[in-house]
Amino acid sequence: MKKIISFLIFLLFVNKITAQGCSDAGICSVNKGFVTDSLQLKNTIEFSSIYSLGEADVQYLSHYISYTKRFNERFAFSSKVTLSTADGSFGTRTQFGDAFLIGNYNFKEKNNKQWSALLGLKFPFTASNLKINGYSLPMDYQSSLGTIDIFLGSSLHYKRWDFNATVQIPVINLNKNSYFKEFGGTDEFPSTNLFERKPDALFRATYSIKSPNSKFTFKPNVLFIYHLGEDSFENIFGQRETINGSEGLTLNGNLITTYTINKQNSIELSVAAPFVVRDVRPDGLTRSFVLGLQYQYSF
Amino acid sequence: MKKIILITVIILFASCQEEGILTRDREEVIVNPTAELKYFGTFIPTSGITVTGEAKIYLENNQYKVQLENFSVSGGPDLKVYLSKSASPNEFLNLGNLTSQTVYPIPASVTVSEYSHVLIHCQQYNHLFAIAPLTQN
Repeated sequence: MKKIISFLIFLLFVNKITAQGCSDAGICSVNKGFVTDSLQLKNTIEFSSIYSLGEADVQYLSHYISYTKRFNERFAFSSKVTLSTADGSFGTRTQFGDAFLIGNYNFKEKNNKQWSALLGLKFPFTASNLKINGYSLPMDYQSSLGTIDIFLGSSLHYKRWDFNATVQIPVINLNKNSYFKEFGGTDEFPSTNLFERKPDALFRATYSIKSPNSKFTFKPNVLFIYHLGEDSFENIFGQRETINGSEGLTLNGNLITTYTINKQNSIELSVAAPFVVRDVRPDGLTRSFVLGLQYQYSF
Repeated sequence: MKKIILITVIILFASCQEEGILTRDREEVIVNPTAELKYFGTFIPTSGITVTGEAKIYLENNQYKVQLENFSVSGGPDLKVYLSKSASPNEFLNLGNLTSQTVYPIPASVTVSEYSHVLIHCQQYNHLFAIAPLTQN
């Protein structure tokens, strides 16, 4: 196990961190609220603040608040609202991102194996066409992808391991982004006028290690995200163009450390970075380094 | 607990924006007085829209430019300037956002004579605001 942790830390800090990462409040954290040790407390509220670095000189400060209700030991429901600030050469833009509604069902445990299924929806608060001073902004500065998405997933908990597989499918495209590289004043971001994105498939493997007093839990995990097709945009002539290189694999390393204050309160620190990337990242999911702090209150 | 929720809600609703290097007012593109006027047309509004002014296309050092003169139009959320092959936005060249700029350069690869109209179009809601049929000078 030490070798695995050492390898992950090596990848996180030694590899060149200049690449495609994860959306900090999308598919990567969609099943997060359902992972808990205590089934006695039926309600959980989470507050999270996340600092991350993106493409070019873009920095992000994102927040979310979520509420999870466990109706019984089988079924739980979670809702989440995100807010994001992007800051870089185009300026600073703060806006609500998305609302998430997610249901999770735990199947009966058998031979130390517990399966669960997840179904969720994501609703954008914007059409991904935020501007500053009348200038259109690249997707990297948008607080939402501008699509209504469905999440379908399943998880397996086995001893200290958790495995999750989820697909995120855009079902209604409300994206009205109007950024053109030709008018942007920089070559650092691709044109994403009337952007259309393809689904993502995620696989995550997590290993949990508890300290002897159970106060600390360490969860190193690897996250594979495959973007299932080439995204597209409408060029200055009104013709749709595919964005070559936007399909492909992103591989992220993530280390989560949880400190349990008491039965009701816990704090979590998360550090993540990608080490395998797509050639082009027009959707703005370009986090190259993510540092998140989360407070969880259960009652 | 209530205080924490209240503070969080206040933070969540505090939305803002600030200009950066790439979104400050850029140097105004101008048409040189010696440029040759090639096409011109007066804007006509669509239903419920108010518009005044003219679209003029000048040729200056082998570069075509659209200039909006004495121009004003009803406000819209995502207005674009199109050079179009008809009075509707079907086959067009998007010249960018309608801003305080009055001059919009046309890419050198474009055959300007193939285009017959300048349009003001709201892309986000797909609503045509104004049409200027062009006449050759």
